[in-house]
Amino acid sequence: MKYDVIVIGGGLAGLTSAIRCAEAGLKSVVISAGESALAFASGAIDVLGFDQHQSPIEDPFGHIKQLPAGHPYHKIGTESLRQSLAFFQAQMAAAGLTMGSHGQINHGRLTALGAMRPAWFSQKGAHTFSLAAPAAGIRHVAVVNLAGFRDFQPTLVAAGLSRQPGFADVAFTLADIKAETLNINARNAYELRSLELARTLKRDLFTQPNGLHILSSALQKAARNADLVVIPSVLAVAGGNDLMVELEQLSGLRICEVATLPPSLPGMRMAAALQQRFRHAGGLFLEGDQVLGGHFEQNRLLSINTRLNQDISMSASHFVLATGSFFSLGLVSDRHELKEPVFGLSVNGTADREQWSEECFMGGGQHRFSHTGVITDASLNPCYIGQTINNLYCVGAVLDGFNPVQAGCAGGVAIGTGWFAAERIISAMAHTPVRQVQEIC
Amino acid sequence: MLNLLDTSFDHCIKCNVCTTRCPVAEANPDYPGPKQAGPDGERLRIKNPQLYDEALKYCTNCKRCEVACPSGVQVGTVIQRAKAKHGGFHQGPREFILSHTDLVGTLSSTAAPVVNVATGLKPVKTLLDKVLGIDKRQSLPKYSRQTFRAWFDPDRQTKFERKICFFHGCFTNYNDPTVGKHLVAVLNAMNIGVTLLKKEKCCGVPLMANGFFARARNNAQLNLGQFADKLNDNNRVECIIATEPSCAMTLRDEYPEVLQVDNYALRDRILFASAFIARELADGNVPKMKPVNLRVAYHSPCHLIKQGGVIHTMELLNGIPGLEVVMLDQKCCGMSGTYGFKKENYQTSQRIGEAVFDQLTTMDVDYVVTDCESCKMQIEMNTGYKVLHPITVMAQSLA
Repeated sequence: MKYDVIVIGGGLAGLTSAIRCAEAGLKSVVISAGESALAFASGAIDVLGFDQHQSPIEDPFGHIKQLPAGHPYHKIGTESLRQSLAFFQAQMAAAGLTMGSHGQINHGRLTALGAMRPAWFSQKGAHTFSLAAPAAGIRHVAVVNLAGFRDFQPTLVAAGLSRQPGFADVAFTLADIKAETLNINARNAYELRSLELARTLKRDLFTQPNGLHILSSALQKAARNADLVVIPSVLAVAGGNDLMVELEQLSGLRICEVATLPPSLPGMRMAAALQQRFRHAGGLFLEGDQVLGGHFEQNRLLSINTRLNQDISMSASHFVLATGSFFSLGLVSDRHELKEPVFGLSVNGTADREQWSEECFMGGGQHRFSHTGVITDASLNPCYIGQTINNLYCVGAVLDGFNPVQAGCAGGVAIGTGWFAAERIISAMAHTPVRQVQEIC
Repeated sequence: MLNLLDTSFDHCIKCNVCTTRCPVAEANPDYPGPKQAGPDGERLRIKNPQLYDEALKYCTNCKRCEVACPSGVQVGTVIQRAKAKHGGFHQGPREFILSHTDLVGTLSSTAAPVVNVATGLKPVKTLLDKVLGIDKRQSLPKYSRQTFRAWFDPDRQTKFERKICFFHGCFTNYNDPTVGKHLVAVLNAMNIGVTLLKKEKCCGVPLMANGFFARARNNAQLNLGQFADKLNDNNRVECIIATEPSCAMTLRDEYPEVLQVDNYALRDRILFASAFIARELADGNVPKMKPVNLRVAYHSPCHLIKQGGVIHTMELLNGIPGLEVVMLDQKCCGMSGTYGFKKENYQTSQRIGEAVFDQLTTMDVDYVVTDCESCKMQIEMNTGYKVLHPITVMAQSLA
């Protein structure tokens, strides 16, 4: 079986790359080993959030030149990064997911621990704070939980938020809207995870003609005229963003939806939107399979084999490796080494196990393993047994040279490198005739 | 004792991704979802078998939890094995009839005209509903008067140098031999002969789904013995091919994983039909085909997704001239073999399928194509579309 492009990994980086390739008419397939990290993520996109002193950055593009050499942004350049973000925003919009931003500067997004993380895009329904003055216009915040939901603790949100600049004098109201108030029928409502709560609300509340009104009045009552009402993201997966807008209009409240412990509904929305766009462009998404290795010849990867199709190899003109970092098993460690498990590509990890992490795990220092990743050249091509592989591109968290958590740049790196690799592939394929793209309704 | 147990369920990181993908948990609030039914519950059950949760009966074994799991936990298998171990199956006459497809098939196809008329009659359906709990709103599968085996003529296959062995399964043999006939036509057009096993037993899917594990294990052993005879014979049978995704998944994966019947030596030579054909097409063995000029919607069956076979069917369909394929969202149709026939599951089964039915109503296609006979029944019953097997579409294009 022969493809133009095989993308290994179905997360943010892999799907961004795959959508761009499929849209350009390339025969593309994505192989994904189960749910990606998106279901664990906030559903917002950061580009560059913090400088080397851990201070929040307002202008990420202005700071890129100060990033250490070897950061993926230096390889793709700021222009590619800008274009990729515009591409991503348009794709999400086409899938019905509005990504809000503060123009050319970062905004603050609230976490379930009350922290303020600089972000570039946030989904409609999540309040975007001004980074310079996050508390502007806010004197009173209500943090309202639903049905005793355990993966969101209003106390923690308030404790964290009150430590943010300008929030010291803000009043907090904490409340929980009881399951009985919403008329939802769950034996142990407090046992439900975010998605289960959303399903229960859909079944018992939102199917009623006045369902949204019931929720709206309960919120009004709980919020006590607060300037901002923070609620966990548990209302709905599909259509959840529009529901927030309706709820704001109905209640007259300013509401901020916050992603909870997994599964994160905003993250699931983004994953669904990306997959929908890929299918729409004619791509084939294969889930639950795992690439075991490849057949290399000279400086090219010719084909791959997967766990489920070990005896039938899949070949392609170009390959994209978007398997993520340690969390997604795109990088693994054993007693002796840090490695890239699919192909055994060169990584920048040291062999000395003692050096992988700081002694104090939560000490705030930079763990070395966070910078570990596949070494690539300026075109994002990796190195396999001393040879640069010209038709294999590494994108997203599998790359070396950056600490996504510390710098707050995971989203931008995924989208930027994914898009960049796709552009390289498209121009390399340009001499071959372009297949007719099938429009799918 | 603990070290003798399979504790791979503890690779679960409690992320709930499986539950986000579980079609049953979405449709039926009584089902606690695969995380709780599988890895969470397993910890409790090891501690005290009394903690077995009756709600595990709602699992359809669609395997979507396993496809989604980022930690490689065999969630569905954990649930299946727990049901087997803790007597989690209700086994009345209904379960016996629904699951013993080869026995019931033998009896019914001999009396096919009578059975087919009878099972279509309202009073009979009401009786089956009341007495057995087979939902009267479901159309029951018809039986074929002539079985596939009776139709099959081995003499016409001797001229081919290359040979494969076709595992036809119960549905093709007793209910509708069409797909089997079309497979023979397609393979013959590719200069490949078809043989059958001397004796073939039900792969075991319905037996396992209804808790008849000992019987399923016997069938597995018999089938594997037959496979070994075929494949080790020196008359060069290349592989065993199945056209039903659930049969293929069972023969390849469920035998070792659920039934603990070792198929290691033969597993690589048991193939789903499209995998074999896609490989042949890629190697240049393309039969003469004429344009079919059709636009079809392709529905990917759960058990084909699980075994990584969707790519092969798409390759096969893309190789048919004049065929425009629109891929549906990869959702479950809700039938799950015998599950949807049971009265207590009817509503869940319909709710699960809604997404598929709804998407189809927005489309303008000539046919729906799917590999699975069970999906076919569900989609035909709930939409106006006729559903074809990919091999049938390919057979129609043969010049």
